[in-house]
Amino acid sequence: MATLTAGRKPVLRRELEALVGADGVLSEPDELLVYESDGLTLFRALADFIVFPTSVEQVSAVVRLANREAIPFVARGAGTGLAGGCLPAEGGLVISLMRMNRVLEVDYDNQIAVVEPGLVNLHLSQAVGPRGFYYAPDPSSQQACTIGGNIATNSGGPHTLKYGVTVNHVLGLEVVLPDGEIVWLGGRTRDALGYDLAGVFVGSEGTFGIATKIVVRILRKPQAVKTVLAVFDRIEQASAAVSAIIARGLVPAAVEMIDQLTIQAVEDAFGCGYPRDAAAALLIELDGLAVAMETQAERIVAACRDAGAREVRTAASEAERQLLWKGRKSAFGAYGRVSPAYMVMDGVIPRTKLPYVLGRVNEIVAAHGLRVGNVFHAGDGNLHPNILYDPRKPGEEARVVDAGAQIMKVCAEVGGSISGEHGIGLEKADFMPFIFTAADLAFMQRLKDAFNPRGLCNPGKVFPTRKSCVETGPVAYRPHAIETQGLAQRF
Amino acid sequence: MPLLDKLRAIVGPAHVLAGIELSPYVIEGRTPEAAVRPGSVDEVAAVIAQAAEAGVPVVPWGGGSAVGVGVPPARAGLVLLLTRLSALVEHEPGDLTATAQAGVTVAALQAALRARGQWLSLDPPDAARATLGGVLAANASGPRRHLYGTARDLLIGVTVVTADGAVVHGGGKVVKNVAGYDLPKLFIGSYGTLGVIVEATVKLRPVPDEERLVAVRFERLEDAGAAVRALLASDLIPNAVDLMDAPAGAALGLPPAPATLAVGFDGLGEQVDWQVAALASVVAPCGGAKPAPLPPALWERLAAAARDAFDAPAAMMTLSVLPGVVADTMEQGAEAARQRGLASAWCAHAGVGHVTATLRAEGERQDAAPIAAVLEDWRAAAHAGGGHASVTWAPLPVKSALPVWDDAGAAGRLMQRIKAQLDPNNVLNPGRFVGGI
Repeated sequence: MATLTAGRKPVLRRELEALVGADGVLSEPDELLVYESDGLTLFRALADFIVFPTSVEQVSAVVRLANREAIPFVARGAGTGLAGGCLPAEGGLVISLMRMNRVLEVDYDNQIAVVEPGLVNLHLSQAVGPRGFYYAPDPSSQQACTIGGNIATNSGGPHTLKYGVTVNHVLGLEVVLPDGEIVWLGGRTRDALGYDLAGVFVGSEGTFGIATKIVVRILRKPQAVKTVLAVFDRIEQASAAVSAIIARGLVPAAVEMIDQLTIQAVEDAFGCGYPRDAAAALLIELDGLAVAMETQAERIVAACRDAGAREVRTAASEAERQLLWKGRKSAFGAYGRVSPAYMVMDGVIPRTKLPYVLGRVNEIVAAHGLRVGNVFHAGDGNLHPNILYDPRKPGEEARVVDAGAQIMKVCAEVGGSISGEHGIGLEKADFMPFIFTAADLAFMQRLKDAFNPRGLCNPGKVFPTRKSCVETGPVAYRPHAIETQGLAQRF
Repeated sequence: MPLLDKLRAIVGPAHVLAGIELSPYVIEGRTPEAAVRPGSVDEVAAVIAQAAEAGVPVVPWGGGSAVGVGVPPARAGLVLLLTRLSALVEHEPGDLTATAQAGVTVAALQAALRARGQWLSLDPPDAARATLGGVLAANASGPRRHLYGTARDLLIGVTVVTADGAVVHGGGKVVKNVAGYDLPKLFIGSYGTLGVIVEATVKLRPVPDEERLVAVRFERLEDAGAAVRALLASDLIPNAVDLMDAPAGAALGLPPAPATLAVGFDGLGEQVDWQVAALASVVAPCGGAKPAPLPPALWERLAAAARDAFDAPAAMMTLSVLPGVVADTMEQGAEAARQRGLASAWCAHAGVGHVTATLRAEGERQDAAPIAAVLEDWRAAAHAGGGHASVTWAPLPVKSALPVWDDAGAAGRLMQRIKAQLDPNNVLNPGRFVGGI
């Protein structure tokens, strides 16, 4: 990569200003600092410029300029990612899509919407809500994260158990390829012509280009929703209940697990009605037709009781339902009550391996002299151990990172994956060999070369690392204001 | 050593077919040089490595149900039969996932899964013959895709043998996974041009308590189209919404009607009962008759209703359009055929805009020009409906009279770059796919 000399920078700044306007370029050190991290503050890297295009033509022009100068570039949304995926690992340009945040079109007859990448996830559901529709993928950061960022990481959320992840809701993308060419991948119809390039692009973590328009499916809101809380004295019972529910032929919209440490933190902070002495609780949501909703709830209750639940109750009102979900969704803010900092892990395992793996997670964290809280998408087998620590204590952050690596190894050993929804980014690039062979990675690299032959588009990500100018720790995790208010959290 | 001898050394002489044994594997009039039946993933890899070295193209072959799709090959090369790789490798009901080898037929896979109360929610036509790998490579689907989606919503892991004989995995065995590029998506619908699928891991669903299929008759196609829009805007959650014109309906033995909507529901018994009753009030304002039950045996014939309408079809096309214009597209398409003196049959997974049409040439004369002209009209109708259309079966003279695949535009050039990266020597099914891939 070319390194920008001090003399070159002002020239480039003027060129960038000519492309996107004087108010669309940042290059002062204090301004750049704001963009040095994403939601995972362990990694930091400084860009030379932050650029704010407002149209696909501007994105394309900026990318062409970067190509001419042979400098790297990376797209960025709200910066809520948790794997360092949008960091300028090798300097260069950060292309912020935050000024491209419109809902361009909603076609209710065909149940699709066309949006810009900087649109906040929740704003889409709010826009189509009055007509009885919503956008299904609901990452827990949905009040802040953008649809474009969701495309990059193929985001999930609690309701993916029934409704699938981002890629299952994306039909087409207008993309600026890494050489600046503008192409449509997929379109508005359900079936793509030729290779499913939209499907391949989603989850490519910004290494295949920059999405500038996105065609998504919107769904009719369900007629009815029912939420069940099941309380267990042993965490193994809660794990067994997850499989028992599925074995009874039920696919709930969501099955979330919350362990004792987390319950206590949540109750201290918000008082959501979870029993403080429970070892674990399952929050189970059913949705769909109003008819037979009771019958389904009875099956859920029976499955939980058979697995040893000491208490199972259904939310009697919408207010009670919201309160239970608040407990689940504000868990991360509540950890602030019990620890100065925490680091969230993201791994996936076959559902039947839950009891074993949760036991191993606890052992590993204890062996590192640390504590862990678990709050996660149990129905999908998507774990989120949150390791609590104090960044002021020398060496503690390094122990957290080491424990995290061991947990990922366990996920891999039981046939799982090292990421369910956060992505690989910088954080897990060196863990890729846990689950992929050299041949697998070489094949993926060739696929990347077809999209991104010069490697200028988001270098240093996904693949086991080469050189980069990324700094790591020790900087404590800093909660965002919306987290401390219990409005959103980090997965 | 000649290639055939090398292949015999890899798979055993009994599994290398030559001469008269090749007659079932003729592709669009071209006889392959040999057909091989490897018995393991390693043998597949060794066979492809040898073929690549010899510069002989490889045509992967499952049940052969989609072999008529695509551009006729310049050279049939080596037919690679996957039928011996038919094991159900792993099925853990508590995980709602299964891993199977590519050569298992869809029917055999479903039978094994159903024995344990689960199923793969993918119902392509010809299940007794179509293999899992072939269905993925052709992105085949059926009526239940209305609710459960297609292969891209169900395939979570894939093992392929690449053009240079390497074994490569993508995805995994868990239902949620964002590690690495989504190779399963890359191979779905790639018609064997990027790698040979040898093993797949899929998401499963519990077998529902009940399932029911009902038919609603309409006096006009456009009324049925309005009913589809009303159904999509309702609270009902059908698992299939299939629209048939008169010839396609007749092929299924339905009572004669200008248009018939077949609607499926599954779930608990009371959910199915309520929905069937509610359907009547959704379709009645659009002119729909009272829903009448259909025999369950019709499920597996729905997707092929247009194909089966004529004993000797002249051509078949699949159109992908916006759901809201399915009935209009069917009507315009049938009229375009009539204007050239040809009969056509149409069926659609209407709620998802997947339309299939078959053309019948009147009389003995099978002149390619009018057939190709109608197909061009149909393609234009698909473009007007916001979509695309490709020929899925036609005799050679018709295939040479118009592009088999629709034009993928700028994305087509990106597809060619992907092909060039992943199969630089053009070993895998060359020349058959979109954009000359």
